[in-house]
Amino acid sequence: MPDPFEYLLASTFAAGAAAIVVVACGGTAAAASAARTRMALLAALAVGFAVGGFWLRLPVSLPPTNALGRLACIVLPLASGIEVAAGCWTVARRYVWCLRLALALASGRVLLHASVYVSADKPAWSAWQAAIVVLLSGALLALVWSLLVSLSRRSGGVSLLLALAETTLGGGLAVMLAGYLAGGEAALPVAGALVGCGVASGMRRFSSGWFDGALGLGVVALFGVLFIGHFFGRLSGGRALAIFLTPLLCWATELPIFARQPAWRAAALRLSLVAFPLIVVLVLAKHDFDRDTLPLLAGMRIDS
Amino acid sequence: MRRSVTMSIVTALAGMLFCAVGAARAADEYAFDPVHSSISFKARHLDISWIHGRFNEADGKFAIDKKDPSKSWFQFSIKVDSVDTANKTRDEHLLQPDYFDSKQFPTIDFKSTSVKAVKGGGYEVTGDFTMHGETKQVTLTLDGGKEAEFMGTKRVGFSTQLSLKRSDFGFDKKQIGLIGDEALIYIDFEGARK
Repeated sequence: MPDPFEYLLASTFAAGAAAIVVVACGGTAAAASAARTRMALLAALAVGFAVGGFWLRLPVSLPPTNALGRLACIVLPLASGIEVAAGCWTVARRYVWCLRLALALASGRVLLHASVYVSADKPAWSAWQAAIVVLLSGALLALVWSLLVSLSRRSGGVSLLLALAETTLGGGLAVMLAGYLAGGEAALPVAGALVGCGVASGMRRFSSGWFDGALGLGVVALFGVLFIGHFFGRLSGGRALAIFLTPLLCWATELPIFARQPAWRAAALRLSLVAFPLIVVLVLAKHDFDRDTLPLLAGMRIDS
Repeated sequence: MRRSVTMSIVTALAGMLFCAVGAARAADEYAFDPVHSSISFKARHLDISWIHGRFNEADGKFAIDKKDPSKSWFQFSIKVDSVDTANKTRDEHLLQPDYFDSKQFPTIDFKSTSVKAVKGGGYEVTGDFTMHGETKQVTLTLDGGKEAEFMGTKRVGFSTQLSLKRSDFGFDKKQIGLIGDEALIYIDFEGARK
């Protein structure tokens, strides 16, 4: 049974662990270098996810046997590796984006591996169907990833980290309400770690261009949770899509009417804009949960 | 001379082939009859009562060699998404990744690795049981083995039951509680000779 207190503890531990790593390794704004801060943020996300995931006892095994395992053991480490390469070495930006695009296009296929959709023995999809799903989902991931990174470079990243945390939390809850508890739970440490990174970065006043890696890793995690929730759980495609696109509402603060807002007000606006569609999606998901699953748990008769 | 040697070789090869076919046919091969077979299960609910269910779709085949039972073999495959607990919502819930994860693991499979005859016409069948992506060795005691001829087809039937722990098969341990860890599976099957 889901335990909200356990979820709160796991998210808090993830946030705390991530914040400690950022503070310990990131240095101060004056002394920190871009590469060091990027590495610290990536390490903070990884540590936060590991701490929260361990607390929640996420069902992830090595070698991974299910989509959640492949997300945690293959896709996220690959995303981290790409961002480490992008942050550490002077790799030309176009090569970094080639790697990010390759990961975006490969992620869907990795998550679907050996499932009924693409199995060698009587797959549910034709090769064309599988290619279209993988390419479209990969293109969507690359689009959201690139738009968030460019927004971060343009006008600050702390509020983006917090908005992404908000969306990841909403996505996790939606997946849980659709009946896949472990899949949704995986989002909680990610959301907690993003909050920890965001708060610690805000306190350290890191430069806006240093959040690419953390944002990228967060977007890939959000994508993975929603992808698994839709294709392996029962999260509807419309809701998964709505949640995934929600962080792009942060671009609204770039409109001319909001151009001269103080930074704190722009951040509050971003968080509010992101919260609104998430609340709508979660209310609908809760309605469906109360209609479909609650009577099952309570042992009541369902009249069809 | 060359012709007689060739004929001798052809005759010897034909004889070996005949013997091999004869040996292969010593075992009767049967196809799983889904109409007259049943795979059901029960598991504890809150540790106070039992929930019953069944899998409506399964397939398999087996061969029985009465002269040398060790040459017999059994294999079957159950379609997970045919689970039926008389409650559609619960069935859909059971297919989710927290339970059977039917999109990732669509079948439950058994393939024998050794067969021994037991008194009374049954067999003790040891084999690989794969569920939820985990394979464990289990031993089934097949009772029955009675044969009947119906509409020109020889049939044979067996019954067996086994007890499994879901936690042994990689099910999420946190989801064990509402529904108990142990599941009892009852398999009654009939085969029609091919």
